Amino acid sequence: MLSVSLGATKCGWLRWLLLALAIAPAALAQGQMQAQTPAQTGAEPQGPQAGPVDPNGPDVILPAVTAVPIFSMGVGMITAWQGGQPNLEPLISPVGLIPIGQKWLIEGRGTFESDLIPDPRGPGWKGSLEKEADYVQVDYIANKYVTFSFGRYLTPFGIFNERLYPVWIRNLQSDPLILPISTGPSGAGTGAMLRGGFNLTPKAELNYATYFSTKLTTSPFDSDRDWGMRAGIYLPGPRLEFGGSFQHLLQADHSNAFGFHLAWQPPPLPLDIRAEYARSSNGSGYWVEGAYRLSQAPVWKDELRHVQVVGRMQEYYLGKFEDEDDDLPMVNTKLFEFGLNYYFRDDVRFVSSYGRQFAAEGGNANVWTVGVTYRLAVPVGHGDAR
Amino acid sequence: MSARRPMSIGIFALVCLAFLLGRVAAAQQSGNGAGAQESAPQKLLDEGEKRFHANCGRCHQSPHKFPPRMVMTIERHMRVRATLTDEDMRTIVAYLTQ
Repeated sequence: MLSVSLGATKCGWLRWLLLALAIAPAALAQGQMQAQTPAQTGAEPQGPQAGPVDPNGPDVILPAVTAVPIFSMGVGMITAWQGGQPNLEPLISPVGLIPIGQKWLIEGRGTFESDLIPDPRGPGWKGSLEKEADYVQVDYIANKYVTFSFGRYLTPFGIFNERLYPVWIRNLQSDPLILPISTGPSGAGTGAMLRGGFNLTPKAELNYATYFSTKLTTSPFDSDRDWGMRAGIYLPGPRLEFGGSFQHLLQADHSNAFGFHLAWQPPPLPLDIRAEYARSSNGSGYWVEGAYRLSQAPVWKDELRHVQVVGRMQEYYLGKFEDEDDDLPMVNTKLFEFGLNYYFRDDVRFVSSYGRQFAAEGGNANVWTVGVTYRLAVPVGHGDAR
Repeated sequence: MSARRPMSIGIFALVCLAFLLGRVAAAQQSGNGAGAQESAPQKLLDEGEKRFHANCGRCHQSPHKFPPRMVMTIERHMRVRATLTDEDMRTIVAYLTQ
């Protein structure tokens, strides 16, 4: 009885020990799987909790190299005819980018251009070389919300002056009629700026820029004394951006200026729609531009995917204050332009456009442009592994 | 003895079953890890491509490839110029360099 009892006791103890040892590997393995996060296992979260990639997560591995200085250059050779008057407009616009550490950037852009007209005294063309320091600024990325910029900067009024001005970016080679509104005598300010962009919600981003500029009269660094701000909301889903700009002039008539901008790229289509409205004491106006890349054409795909058709409508209304130095039209003006661009590569393209200008006091004219634009970008240095 | 033999056989079968379950679980764990290592970067690339077109495509045509050391500088420049968010910049850099 005892032996049976002992045997039963031994058997029970041994049974549970063997059972525990056998189950342990399965329990341990299952426990390890549950303890690890999807990021540790690399597994995508499943079900309703699945979300987009976390840009700050461990999956986003940035390259272990240091940023190197870059020399870039936009080149344009444009021929324009306005009212039958031909103009040759060669342009070179060098850009330098010098990163320092992880948060600093020194950047600058200059423009060398000429407006050549036929020499009335003989064959050939005449004109002078114009030099412009577009911007020379030091940027400090303080955090994800704020970047400080000092020096000479492009005036952040609307979207054209800052983002679309370079000859190799713009879809039509002529400037919008309202571009001089609030961008000063040279499109730039000299002073300091705070700017940044961050997520408001997962589906909306806010971008802003606020600046103060002092008056300089020394060419090519001339600028007005003013302060202003721009803010925009960008919706990544529909790729829609809209916003507004304000500027207060701290000289002359101490006038205010304001404007609105819109940019939309409907995701299913290779279509860019952009528009700006601006108003100041000098005048007001708008431009609306649509550019469509024929990459979805059902025929001749290999050729048509390089072609971009552009249309732009703009109007300018003269204000009360007339300043002959601000490059704004001196009369009410309407201008419609149709353009055809051919991209040999992303950095080399043939550009052409035809426009019809309707202006008061006999200013009606045809406006033609034909040209080639090119963008160069090369690293200066090898970079080091971090 | 005859009563304890089926019990021993049962215990032995239970041990074997538990051992097999453990091996299967371990195999599933390693299998999930290997598969995820392939899918997570692909998801990152898809997200980076989407953000690249949504942000950079607003002004630029898709560029040909740049070396990573240039991408680091270009993205810093565009973060200032186009007010890219920090999250967009990190994802786009990862996309353009992987």
